[in-house]
Amino acid sequence: MTMSNQNSDDAKLNSIRELIEGILPLDQLATLQREMKTGDRVQIVLAIEQDRVPWSDRILVPLQENLYVVERDDGARVVKCFCGHEFGDYRLNWKEEALVFERHPQDGIVFQPNKGADPVWQLLREFYCPNCATQLDVEPVPVGYPFVFNFLPDLEF
Amino acid sequence: MTMARRSLKDRLIESEELFRDTGVYESELTVKESDPVTFEVLFTRLLQTLTNAREVALSISASPSTREQGEIIFGLFTAEGDAVCLSTGLMIHVHTMSRAIKWMINNDYETKMGFREGDYFFNNDSFIGGGHPSDQMLMTPFFVDGELEGWIGGLTHVTETGAVEPGAMGSSFTSRFAEGLILPCMRIAADDELFYDFDVLVDRGVRSSISWLADNRAKLTGNLIIREKVKELLGEVGLDMYRKVCREYIEDTRRATHEKVRRSLFPGRYREVAWRGVTIKNLERLMHSPCELVVSREGRLSLSFEGLPSAQRQPFQATLPLFEGMLFNGLIQNIFYDLRYNDGTFLAIDLHVPYGSACNPDNIQLPTTLWGPAYGGMQACAQAVSRAYFAKGYREEVHASGPLTSGNLAGGKDQYGRHFGSQCFEFASSGMYATSFMDGLDTAFSDFNAEGDMGDAEIWEQQMPQVWLAREIRKDGGGFGKFRGGNGIHSLYMIPEGIEMEIGAFGSPPIFSTAGLMGGYPAAALRVWIGRGTDVQAQIEAGTPLPNTEGFDRSVPEFVDQVSAEWSCVLGQNVPTSSLEPYSLFSVVSGDGGGYGDPLLRAPIDIIRDVENGLSGVRVAADVYGVVVTKDARGNVGYDKEATDSLRAQHRRERLHRGVPAAEYKRIQRERVMAGDIPAPARAMYRDVMEISPIWADEFRTFWNLPEGFEVAE
Ligand SMILES: [Zn+2]
Repeated sequence: MTMSNQNSDDAKLNSIRELIEGILPLDQLATLQREMKTGDRVQIVLAIEQDRVPWSDRILVPLQENLYVVERDDGARVVKCFCGHEFGDYRLNWKEEALVFERHPQDGIVFQPNKGADPVWQLLREFYCPNCATQLDVEPVPVGYPFVFNFLPDLEF
Repeated sequence: MTMARRSLKDRLIESEELFRDTGVYESELTVKESDPVTFEVLFTRLLQTLTNAREVALSISASPSTREQGEIIFGLFTAEGDAVCLSTGLMIHVHTMSRAIKWMINNDYETKMGFREGDYFFNNDSFIGGGHPSDQMLMTPFFVDGELEGWIGGLTHVTETGAVEPGAMGSSFTSRFAEGLILPCMRIAADDELFYDFDVLVDRGVRSSISWLADNRAKLTGNLIIREKVKELLGEVGLDMYRKVCREYIEDTRRATHEKVRRSLFPGRYREVAWRGVTIKNLERLMHSPCELVVSREGRLSLSFEGLPSAQRQPFQATLPLFEGMLFNGLIQNIFYDLRYNDGTFLAIDLHVPYGSACNPDNIQLPTTLWGPAYGGMQACAQAVSRAYFAKGYREEVHASGPLTSGNLAGGKDQYGRHFGSQCFEFASSGMYATSFMDGLDTAFSDFNAEGDMGDAEIWEQQMPQVWLAREIRKDGGGFGKFRGGNGIHSLYMIPEGIEMEIGAFGSPPIFSTAGLMGGYPAAALRVWIGRGTDVQAQIEAGTPLPNTEGFDRSVPEFVDQVSAEWSCVLGQNVPTSSLEPYSLFSVVSGDGGGYGDPLLRAPIDIIRDVENGLSGVRVAADVYGVVVTKDARGNVGYDKEATDSLRAQHRRERLHRGVPAAEYKRIQRERVMAGDIPAPARAMYRDVMEISPIWADEFRTFWNLPEGFEVAE
């Protein structure tokens, strides 16, 4: 590998790290967006994420902001928060292990009365990590709506 | 020697059977492989031809939604009606014109009407193709040596159709017959000349025919330009080559679609739900749009909407051609933007939409005006795709839901005594979704037309004489989050003197219709404020400053406090049209984008920018984002780092305090479900969906651990 290749690889790695952290300058973002999708990004991102998290379990796939599917030393594949909290088997909805709060849709804190849903129709169901309290999902749903199971990755390969 | 000419119907059946049996549209890409340069050059010439024709047509049309908003698209189709190439523009209609051409072929138009060069067929029957009666297409066949070799089609969105309410998109319709003039694949021109009696029909059939008739001329001209150019090109390359490349372009896209999925999306099962509903007399119910996206390791993409509610006598639903169009529009913008736009993408994707549901009605007499869960389905699908990109590492493609585009309708007699009827398409500049890396753009986006523009208020005032007292960026409209959704437009209209006006609006029921993603909040609910019997005339005469803003972070907008009137507010924005006196005020919003990520993770500098720009306030900064904004004596905005850290820690503690373990939450909620203690709009939806979808009913019962055969109480 030549020096300039090394430099451009480093620059790209750095761009992707900044993208993940939400601090990538927009001109560099456009470069990434225009790039041909070759499928190898997943490996780069896994390496960056593995480096970012404060624990050492192997990441199999980033599930969403703050959540990962990891493989533990004992072979179990579980959903794990950035903070280290584990939500259990990845084949089950992590929401079943979260903290839940139903917010009035016009509580004057998040939504003013003329900007929020009618509480007869919908409320806001917020899901938090029980350890770090990160808000992991907000479902605008009526009473009685089952938790949405957003993503079941196909890891059996 | 002559061979008996095969009918188009036989050719269509053969083409469809071939695809069904082999799974491919064209088995060998011989031109692409042997002469890739010619292959690409020819496609570029076709694309250029279509796009040039679109530009010409835009400048011929007199209708603001076409001219200013660019609500127009042209396509080139095979003889059997498969789309080969499309211009830029209204991407929803990649496949809807294909549907209409195939419908004519299947319904014996070839033998009963005859197809001749110079014929133009008009269609705005959305069960055949298109989205609603506003979506109007004009299709023309072209011939080589007496043989029909292909079709050209143009489509525009027209703002008046002679519906029960002016402006075509009324929220009160309970039957298709309320939607105005619906004309299924009618010949309206021969020898490239429009029939005079069709102009008369439209002129007498709608409130104001200018947009419809001007658009017909624009589409005819565009089609004609394309036909001549395509025939010129055909003459150069020869018929065999032309036929072969057209099939190869479609097959090439089909293959590229699989490849793009394989390289871009993580395999797995994704689920998202979007929300709509009905608010008409005697029918108030929620409607979910449950999207399941399955990405296979081989790059197959399957979409299922099992669990959609049933079609009813209400306008918040869509025909299957429209729903297909919405979905492919979303998929093209989110995944397949760098492929050739044609029916190859359509062939590569498996789609399940239950027959009889609100996105595939089993009765053509039902209205399908406002799309409801079909628009929601596209939002949900885009969020599912975003998750698949996220897992694959392509964070630059990840975003929350795009806005529900919503706006106003009006009709009556203008200051010149002319009848008018129109909808205002400024909602083509709604608030964009938040992405995983930046805030959504304000007043810059609609999912259905990425090139859309809001149009000059002065041009709109010529077509619908409501006077804009304000047109501003909506404050705190975009969903809160680490990155916030873009804000839509807030417009405050005044009814001027000397006109007669009925005015209304369309949007959603009183719900959040645009979800956030991965911890972000949904966009604000839409709403209308109507002020009757105002003192605005006195304010004008006194020369005092007129109301011009919502203000920010208010339970009641600023303009409401500034104008003495009988005010009413309709959350969700569904307001059937009714007469308003001069000097009445009518305030609408255009929809905002969903938020992304936990708001407590938002960079304080982004909050400061919004406060400085007057788009958000100090209270929201503290309560939603946990940021303590400071202002120095000179008015410079900043934030207190220490106080912010401690406020954010406090917010987190409060979350842990108020949050209930999911198991406990479910135990309590289960009691409510068992007892039928569910507000009416959702109860009606559960009962309906569980009746028509045993699969969804089983999932519902399993989730709540309900007894077999459990039904939600009436
Ligand atoms: Zn955590």
